[in-house]
Amino acid sequence: MALLQTENLSYIYGEGTPFCVTALDKVNIEIEKGDIIAVIGQTGSGKSTLMQLLNGLLKPTSGRVLLDGEDIRSSKAKKLETRFRVGLCFQYPEYQLFENTVYEDIAFGPKNMELSDAEVDKRVRDAAKYVGIPESAFKTHPFDLSGGEKRRVAIAGVISMEPEILILDEPTSGLDPKGREQILSLIKNYRDRTGKTVIVVSHSMNDVAKIASRVIVMYQSKVLMTGTVDEVFEQSEKLTEIGLSVPQITEVFTKLHTLGYPVSEKVYTTKQAFLEIKRILNRGKDNA
Amino acid sequence: MLKDITIGQYFPLNSVIHRLDPRVKLLYTFVFIIMIVVANNFVALAFCVACALIVTFVSKVPLKTVIKGLKPIIFIIVITSLLQIIYVKTGVTLVSFWKIRITSGGLLEALFLTFRISFLIVMSTMLTYTTSPTSMTNGLDRTFAPLSKIGIDFNIITMIMTIALRFIPTLIDEVDKIISAQKSRGANFESGSIFKRAKMLIPLFVPLLFNATRRAYELAYAMTCRCYNGGKGKTTMNALKYKKGDWLVTVLTFAFVAGVIVLNIKFGEYNAKFAFNSAV
Ligand SMILES: Nc1ncnc2c1ncn2[C@@H]1O[C@H](COP(=O)(O)OP(=O)(O)OP(=O)(O)O)[C@@H](O)[C@H]1O
Ligand SMILES: [Mg+2]
Repeated sequence: MALLQTENLSYIYGEGTPFCVTALDKVNIEIEKGDIIAVIGQTGSGKSTLMQLLNGLLKPTSGRVLLDGEDIRSSKAKKLETRFRVGLCFQYPEYQLFENTVYEDIAFGPKNMELSDAEVDKRVRDAAKYVGIPESAFKTHPFDLSGGEKRRVAIAGVISMEPEILILDEPTSGLDPKGREQILSLIKNYRDRTGKTVIVVSHSMNDVAKIASRVIVMYQSKVLMTGTVDEVFEQSEKLTEIGLSVPQITEVFTKLHTLGYPVSEKVYTTKQAFLEIKRILNRGKDNA
Repeated sequence: MLKDITIGQYFPLNSVIHRLDPRVKLLYTFVFIIMIVVANNFVALAFCVACALIVTFVSKVPLKTVIKGLKPIIFIIVITSLLQIIYVKTGVTLVSFWKIRITSGGLLEALFLTFRISFLIVMSTMLTYTTSPTSMTNGLDRTFAPLSKIGIDFNIITMIMTIALRFIPTLIDEVDKIISAQKSRGANFESGSIFKRAKMLIPLFVPLLFNATRRAYELAYAMTCRCYNGGKGKTTMNALKYKKGDWLVTVLTFAFVAGVIVLNIKFGEYNAKFAFNSAV
């Protein structure tokens, strides 16, 4: 049984008005414990909507979300339990920051969980360290931060709750390359350290290739494909067709391949590229 | 609950009413509001209600949506009705208990007021349902343009009104998003003591106000960048022009006024028969 699962999940915004939009159409996905799932898809393909359905913030128009095989809306207790077990960090951090200091803002979630003060303090410090907020910034007013800094505080605010399934909606948009790296390694770390599950919505194929164990491709409110990084990026034509791409390094290697170089096309990260080139160079040496 | 606030919303359809000149719509809405207050008996009121229903029907806006728009004022309707029932003591006594005496006059008066208030709101929401904000400003602008001769620049007022109307749905959307974001951090808006719930307003209102202020500044800068300087001498891209249909509706509006006045005179004593207290 999958940890988190959807059954014919559909969602319509503004049902019964002339503005109604079908944001999700009969989506079936399964998420196993310990996975790092990347959700990719064009703008407006329903990614954020799906994420909000997964932790029960939105009520499905039809279909169900199952956590441990049980409908998350089956009872009030289950609903609350889901809120704490599935932590969602929104796309726009300005929707959640409100406290007077960065520290208090990160502490809001753990406090709602009614943890002891010592535990709250520990979690806040851990989370801050993870996302790269120095302790010297704890007393700053969150509204005085830059966009990227706000995002880190917002992410820390959710991580501090240590959810079993961590959902991050475009966590790296608006960050500089170093910030991106930090967030990506944070995601990997969170999974490796705790064995918990992470779902990331991302527009960057490079990031996806780097961290994901599985990829879900959304297109026009539907799930177009799911699979491992290899399985998905193999289909570069299909991805290009729906306005997505493959990682840059993959493009380079595909090009090299068509130019007749004896390289594999299945290269998705710079690390793999490095190994592939090394392999070929070594082979060349052996032949000489 | 928040989704129920429909005042100020535009309902884009393609109907005769939607295509009318905004000035005509402003005129008949204004006239209707006055006449439904002037109407002093059930026949005249029924006439007003019928006219409002015709407008609603022609506009193709679903009746359900229009009625939904009344939700926020149900409270006001209930309170005023109760006051009427308690205080108006005319006609036959129906029930009496403790110090309260419910009379037929009170009940009828309450019914009368319910219809009056509801349809006042119905016609006002019909105006915004059928008139896009741009068209509305245009209409207001042109209607009140003569005021500039006495030094009142109505342009600015209409601009402020349009912007305010424009941002109602945005703010409602934003409240929803903030609630979602805080809920996913374990905030509980739905239960707990009054004190606890009041405290929960902080995580809601701080981001809301902050974002609203920021947005106001951004909009102001964007307008300045596009050379907005208060609207003096501003012209419009789609200059308004009265068409045949607009004249027809104007005539109908005057016919409506005449109708209500005639019915008021003819059935005025009708009320007296029920021993109404027509002062509201
Ligand atoms: N609150 C809302 N009210 C009405 N329609 C909405 C709302 N939120 C989203 N939509 C619509 O639902 C569809 C899916 O939106 P969603 O936010 O899930 O897309 P997304 O894949 O997250 O896009 P992005 O990559 O831009 O974040 C879009 O067509 C959008 O216009
Ligand atoms: Mg999104």
